[in-house]
Amino acid sequence: MKKNKNYLFFITPGFVIYTIFAVIPIIYVVYLAFTNYTGMGKADFVGFENFVRIFHDDRFTPAFFNALKNNLKYLLCVWFIITPFQYFLAYFFFIKIPAYKYLKFMVFLPYVISSTVIGFFATLLFNPNIGLMNTILKSLGMRQNAWFGNPSIAFKLLVLVIMWQGAGSGIMIFYANFMDIPQEIMEACKVDGCTEWQRFTRILLPLSLPSCASIIMMSTIWALGVFDLPYILGGVNGGVGGSLDFASMVFYRYTFGSGLDAKTNLGFGSAISVIMFLFMLIVTFLQNKVLSKFEYEN
Amino acid sequence: MRVKKLRESDKRGGKEVLSRRGKAFRWTISILLILYTGIAIFVTVVTLLDSVKNRSDLLKSFIAIPSSVTFDAYRKVLFENDFIRYFGNSLILTVGGTAGCILLSAMMAYGIARYEFKGKNLLSSYLLLGMMVPVQVTILPVFLMLKKMGLLNKLAGVLFLYIAGISMSCIVFQKFFKTLPRELEESARMDGCHDVKLFFRIIFPIAKPVIVTMALIKAIGCWNDFYMPMILLGKKNTTTLTLGIYRYVGQFTRYMSETMAAVVITLIPIVILYFAFSTQIMEGMTSGAVKG
Repeated sequence: MKKNKNYLFFITPGFVIYTIFAVIPIIYVVYLAFTNYTGMGKADFVGFENFVRIFHDDRFTPAFFNALKNNLKYLLCVWFIITPFQYFLAYFFFIKIPAYKYLKFMVFLPYVISSTVIGFFATLLFNPNIGLMNTILKSLGMRQNAWFGNPSIAFKLLVLVIMWQGAGSGIMIFYANFMDIPQEIMEACKVDGCTEWQRFTRILLPLSLPSCASIIMMSTIWALGVFDLPYILGGVNGGVGGSLDFASMVFYRYTFGSGLDAKTNLGFGSAISVIMFLFMLIVTFLQNKVLSKFEYEN
Repeated sequence: MRVKKLRESDKRGGKEVLSRRGKAFRWTISILLILYTGIAIFVTVVTLLDSVKNRSDLLKSFIAIPSSVTFDAYRKVLFENDFIRYFGNSLILTVGGTAGCILLSAMMAYGIARYEFKGKNLLSSYLLLGMMVPVQVTILPVFLMLKKMGLLNKLAGVLFLYIAGISMSCIVFQKFFKTLPRELEESARMDGCHDVKLFFRIIFPIAKPVIVTMALIKAIGCWNDFYMPMILLGKKNTTTLTLGIYRYVGQFTRYMSETMAAVVITLIPIVILYFAFSTQIMEGMTSGAVKG
């Protein structure tokens, strides 16, 4: 390795643009959170006032906590429904169930499709007036449903749609993890004549679980920032009765929702962002604590 | 590397002789999953069919075979509603964002992987920041910054943001460059090849498979992005395809066939890309997952 200044040529352009557009906004948002900036004029330092307001505002606080509750609910769905679903599908592809190549191809496909198009597909199926599901129910003589307009099932439906769209990435990561398990172990297992169930619970599961930590972490960050599909399907106000409301949507309503007139308190919006981020950090931290307990010791 | 392992994957896995129960189990799962993948086929076919239906057919039923074929909706979407322009905008953002991001992250990764300098490790962790903070958290300051720079509602603004998203590809490229033998560069240097020339002439071509994979992932992300264009763009001349679709979906009952045509137009490039590069795209997803 030569010691010279040529490295500057390689790292400077990336460093500059990354710093300006990815790092400075992080610092800037923290600074703004302590001010009452309105987008125009001067920003006055107001200390923790914005943060206090997040927890003590008659109109804002209930909506925000309802949204955070939805975020947590969604996160639980990620852990206990979506991730296991991905894990099992990866396992099925690994043991090569019939037509697995076709299945892999098709299950991954929705992942490359834009959320707006996914939102359209969901509308096509679940629109209460002209959607296909209601047409089918009607022709069968069954009761029609408002689907996304029905607060008691809107959330479950949203989770299903997100799962349908996003399952592919996790499946491929789990699949790659299965592939990373040394061939010798699989061979030895075969020679010892263990059953398929034993092989799954005693070998594949413990050997692939530690590497699941990173994907679960990524989907956690994603789950806490979820915006596109609930916004497209539930509208800007988060569906009927706030059933499809999430933290990032509350943030959007309070900062960009009113078209950013000079009255919008951007400091408050920034404080929401900061709280959202802290929430993410705390959840990922706790999650890592729990996951590390399952770490397989070599 | 994992990428290779995935390619070899088809030679591995459950080849063992199966019990009858094991076989029946596999077939059941397989059939259930085939039905599950039927959803994607069904909605795509319905959309495709309905986009060429005339309005009276469409109002009768979504699933029936059209009695006549009309491309009226496409004409309306493309020429009356400026979807050509939206398509162009999406294309500029995707191609520009991907090219810039891949070039800068490959250079950055090479600089980190092959040179010794102070603060190198610090720089690596500095790059992780961008991955840990989601765009929803920083969008407000980004909005204000672009406004001050006069880049709000300009494609250039979002382009810069896409280019700045170098974290993930930088990590993947670093891993790759570390696996390359140093002799390659040593001998080129002996011949008096300058570092910069060396990078573009020798390293870049070798890295082509990884570059293609990461570029695909980035391009799909840019093409499908909804959040940033929605907040930072949106004036008529800077609307992207995803925004155009979103506006149609909002008024679906009024503009049914137009919505379908718009969806088909958006889907075509991405589906072609997927059919051509599905292996690389799936690989790209797994390489992005930083292990441990």
